[in-house]
Amino acid sequence: MTRVFSHLDALEAESIHIFREAAAQFRKPVLLYSIGKDSTVLLHLARKAFYPQKPPFPLLHVDTTWKFRDMIAFRDKTARELGLELLIHTNTAGAEKGVDPVRFAPSLYTDVMKTQALKQALDLHGFDAAFGGARRDEEASRAKERVFSFRSPGHRWEPRKQRPEMWRLLNGRLGTGESARVFPLSNWTERDVWRYLLREKLDVVPLYFAADRPTITRGGQILVLDDDRLPLAEGETVVTRRVRFRTLGCWPLTAAIESDAADIESVVAETLSARTSERQGRLIDHDQTGAMERKKQEGYF
Amino acid sequence: MAAGAGTGQAGMTMASDEARALAATLRDLDGIVRILTCGSVDDGKSTLIGRLLWEASDLPEDTRQGLIRQAGPDGIPDVSLLLDGLVAEREQGITIDIAWRYFDAGRRRFVVIDSPGHEQYTRNMASGASHADIAIMLVDARHGVKRQTRRHAAILDLVGVKRVVVAVNKMDLIDWSQSRFEEIAADFATITERFAFEEAVALPVSAKLGDNVAGRSAHTPWYAGETLLEIIDRAPSRIIESGSAFRFPVQTVLRGGTDFRGLAGTVASGVVRVGDPVFDGLSRRQANVRRIATMDGDLEQASAGQAVVVQLDTDLDVARGAVLSSPDAVPVVARAIEARLVWLADSPLDASHGLLLRTATDLVPLSSIAIRARLDLETLQETAVSSCSTNDIVIADLSLAQAVAVDRFADNREMGAFVLVDALTGATLAGGVIVTAAARSASEGNDAFVLTNEMLARGVCAGLASSDPEFRRRAQEVAIILRAAGVTVARDKGPGES
Repeated sequence: MTRVFSHLDALEAESIHIFREAAAQFRKPVLLYSIGKDSTVLLHLARKAFYPQKPPFPLLHVDTTWKFRDMIAFRDKTARELGLELLIHTNTAGAEKGVDPVRFAPSLYTDVMKTQALKQALDLHGFDAAFGGARRDEEASRAKERVFSFRSPGHRWEPRKQRPEMWRLLNGRLGTGESARVFPLSNWTERDVWRYLLREKLDVVPLYFAADRPTITRGGQILVLDDDRLPLAEGETVVTRRVRFRTLGCWPLTAAIESDAADIESVVAETLSARTSERQGRLIDHDQTGAMERKKQEGYF
Repeated sequence: MAAGAGTGQAGMTMASDEARALAATLRDLDGIVRILTCGSVDDGKSTLIGRLLWEASDLPEDTRQGLIRQAGPDGIPDVSLLLDGLVAEREQGITIDIAWRYFDAGRRRFVVIDSPGHEQYTRNMASGASHADIAIMLVDARHGVKRQTRRHAAILDLVGVKRVVVAVNKMDLIDWSQSRFEEIAADFATITERFAFEEAVALPVSAKLGDNVAGRSAHTPWYAGETLLEIIDRAPSRIIESGSAFRFPVQTVLRGGTDFRGLAGTVASGVVRVGDPVFDGLSRRQANVRRIATMDGDLEQASAGQAVVVQLDTDLDVARGAVLSSPDAVPVVARAIEARLVWLADSPLDASHGLLLRTATDLVPLSSIAIRARLDLETLQETAVSSCSTNDIVIADLSLAQAVAVDRFADNREMGAFVLVDALTGATLAGGVIVTAAARSASEGNDAFVLTNEMLARGVCAGLASSDPEFRRRAQEVAIILRAAGVTVARDKGPGES
């Protein structure tokens, strides 16, 4: 059966092309697996790119110890079922110093437990390239990203020194001390990710679907309580709400939305008529002006 | 793929009929159109793109409301705020890098590639342009066509954009003058006729007010042409070159089970079917296609744009860099290339640096590069020069230390484009397109030092199979070092190596 080559077919083929280009040019790549829907699509595309081989690189999860329990369970199940090597890294020095998202500013917490942790893990294993699920449609500074994004020694991103990327030619030759981030989903939109999850019948973490969950409201945002580590402020009460997440991260920093969309079709439908941009749910991005750009320059993914 | 196949347990009760109806309409779109925007500083490019997004796309409501709240006393939202992203840019008030924006309209995806106006960042514009199906060039109605306009037209032509629109912007600031518009349109026509564009049109707009962007302007009754959205709407999606000769640049070799050895790649052009004979120009060997594999099942055929794994009936031992073609329409196996280049690096060409030519999937050292002429951006004539620096468009003769399989850019976009890479830093120095390609250059003598696999296997590549990518990488490094020391190096590959 010949299928029409649709825009999702084109995006899929482009992503597979990118995976193969990176695997052929970099010495030791790794796939940053963050468990969310974008990672799910990323991993699926990696499997397609190297079929009938398994992807020739491990998965790396930077575990802040504050991920939703459902995420961790999904992560372990995925790696086990697909028979893939899963590396888990936590910034233990940060964790021992008690850096958490409850008492520390989101920017500091993110820097220590995500940015620094990621750098530690990349350096520890000597990875010269890391695949990530970032999309250009997510946020203004990401709209300028290359597919192969180079980091100078110390993992710094220098927006003025990014290599030109022409046609489909992805130049993966590294200078001394350089490493690369590779973004196979660069040209996908949030809608494409959902469309693709639906089309390919992929499982995602149940947190993406509406359910009755214990919540509080703080700063105008709905937070779901995943365990008892978040002390309630005066006047805050736990209320059961029917909510879901558009994006997943550390649970005290990830806002939920009220929704009845309890299956993938309903979520896709809601996304189609979305009235707010996706990253509104990520509290760290509201921390300061140009927050994402600054985090990227410092080495955040 | 229609929705409705899911079996989410809660879905049976929770998804409303309305939601299901919506999801059912969420089919894949028919195609993708990439639109480049370019112009000089302050031509109002960000405003024009912002206006396109504002008029044509389904902006998130929070974004839309945010802009309405921030509007000045005149109540007109500053739609350019939808574009300028980086803090560094906001501080300088210029767009330093290409920004990608995505929206769906009708049955298609539109990608806006917003490229920088400042001359210093012309390389970013060239980079963005190479991805575009259509380009919108902005000209400020008060200033008319400038040097930068000519540069941009030349780059668009070089990288293969076939459709250009000149949007004469800020018409409101010149009282919608028809004579001024026609003067600019005529100036533009004298530029575009110099190049190989298939379509070049001019239209009068006000990006700030929206005139002739989505709706026809009451201020320009003398303009009978299309609005910008109408022009974009009829632009074809990326042309799938299924009609031209089959080309399959091999990206990597994949293995599975005990006997599966497949060549992974994206079909660059044409079609291949199971049973077709295919030819590898570098090794001059032929085989037949046994399987076209994907994780979703085997295919009977694969055409341009599809990423597949090709298994052959005899093991040609080809590796990354090889290009499979049909035996009766083969690419050129070239050692000498005449090319047009846009120089992207900050520093001028330094021929003493080791340079690498990166084609679709191959990477080979240059043994020499000679700049022959530069395009003068005032006259659009070529003038003889021997050097080139940032943003120059030049004609150059390249000699390669090792043969590559290529086509002329005019014949095959995927096979005729390349970048030049600094062997030491890895930087992308130039983008180029192949004008002519030949087996051997006239200047190439017989005095080249021949680096054989045997030599390499004795020392630096000891313990590696010659088919190992690491073998190949080390061989390239040795060639680069020798070349940097002034030795003309040729690689003599063993049988079976591509």
